[in-house]
Amino acid sequence: MTMDEEHEGIAAEYALGTLDADERAQADAMLLVDPEFAAEVARWERRLGELNVLVAPVEPPAPVWEKIRAGVAEAAPAEPMRLPEVSAPAVAAGPGEPSAEIIDLTQRMRRWRGLTVMSGALAACLVGIVVAREYRPDVLPADWRPKQQMVEKVVEKPVEVVREVVREVPAAQPAQYVAVFQKDEQSPSFVMSVDIEKRTVTVRQVAAERFADKTYQLWIATQPGAAPQSLGVLGGDDFTVRAALTSYEPAVINNATFGISLEPLGGSPTGQPTSPAIHAKLLQVTPR
Amino acid sequence: MLTPAELVWLMAAVAKGDQAAFERLYAATRAKLYGVALRILRRADLADEVMQETYLKIWHNAGTFDPKLASPITWMVAIARNRSLDLIRKKGETSIEDEPAAMEAAGEEQNPLARREMTEQLRRLLICLGQLEEDRRRMVLLAYYSGWSRDQLAAKFDAPANTIKTWLRRSLLEIRECLGS
Repeated sequence: MTMDEEHEGIAAEYALGTLDADERAQADAMLLVDPEFAAEVARWERRLGELNVLVAPVEPPAPVWEKIRAGVAEAAPAEPMRLPEVSAPAVAAGPGEPSAEIIDLTQRMRRWRGLTVMSGALAACLVGIVVAREYRPDVLPADWRPKQQMVEKVVEKPVEVVREVVREVPAAQPAQYVAVFQKDEQSPSFVMSVDIEKRTVTVRQVAAERFADKTYQLWIATQPGAAPQSLGVLGGDDFTVRAALTSYEPAVINNATFGISLEPLGGSPTGQPTSPAIHAKLLQVTPR
Repeated sequence: MLTPAELVWLMAAVAKGDQAAFERLYAATRAKLYGVALRILRRADLADEVMQETYLKIWHNAGTFDPKLASPITWMVAIARNRSLDLIRKKGETSIEDEPAAMEAAGEEQNPLARREMTEQLRRLLICLGQLEEDRRRMVLLAYYSGWSRDQLAAKFDAPANTIKTWLRRSLLEIRECLGS
């Protein structure tokens, strides 16, 4: 086990159920991109899950089954969607057993390395697919063989799907946005989630190397080519939460490019990144 | 309730798209999952909603279930609980309800029903829960069964939410060490 105490604590509390809505959304994003975290959550769900034996059964009303059956009939035949170079059954893997799925996704990401797309877009696309599968796996195309130039469509489609689902869900709540920063295609270095309503960002350091004498700094570029503005230095902890976006409009945040660079302790002395930054854009992961 | 082996067989059939098996799986597990969801949500309309989401997810994801890693009912309950918790957290409901009766089973007297259904794993878990201080144990059980957040626990136990967080995590670590896994 290489996870630190904070990860383990969050995984355990996720399984126990004591995280608040923001923390759960953050953990859900981590489940999608961080196999180790997903495995830890799965272990905790098994440890605590035995308690269900003591819950008294309650018969649900009959119409519940009618609705489930109608939902299944609508989805059937549940043809597994197909992704490039992978046989269909493997792709039918869903998020029920997070660890297995994430490992599967990670392997698929490696296979995709040949595609000449930005790694950020690739990760966003993966997250999008998983989100769509989470909400409405049935709406994904049955025979889906994306070509390189289809990546844009791949990213957009799940977002539409999620919006479509929103109309059926009565509870309105702020949308969650996630960005995945990757140095290479194999593993995310940072996962950032943004609460557009509160204008806060939460950055989780996943696989990025740690340095005693350096620090990571978060940047925002509101337009292509615009000089990046600092959103602050990331803390030494795995989680850094900041109300850093208060001076940015939601539409600007939504379209901005975010960057993370390695800087001297205390942050960049020049006000601009002094090392190459890794970039990512936001992807909506929960319905608005 | 069917035996775990029967449930595993049903899950495998459901993974292949067998709708009759899915109906049997529903019949065998619906009351448990509804009980779990209702206890957290405390509202039948919300529990109905969660049941639909949960079983559709089970239908789509049965293929990912691995009997080596979890029992079918634990896997299904985890889905129902996560759906319920997502819903209740988003609704931001903070009502504090009665404590779950099932928590009495932890550490002390077990009711006859529980003893009959008790697995070795549950027995070990209850022993470990029984080793926690009483307040800590109640917190863990209120969180698991009733879906209480740190804030709700903070109000109930008259302690800052951060302290609750520390206690919860310490308790969970103690449980893990006690279980030895």
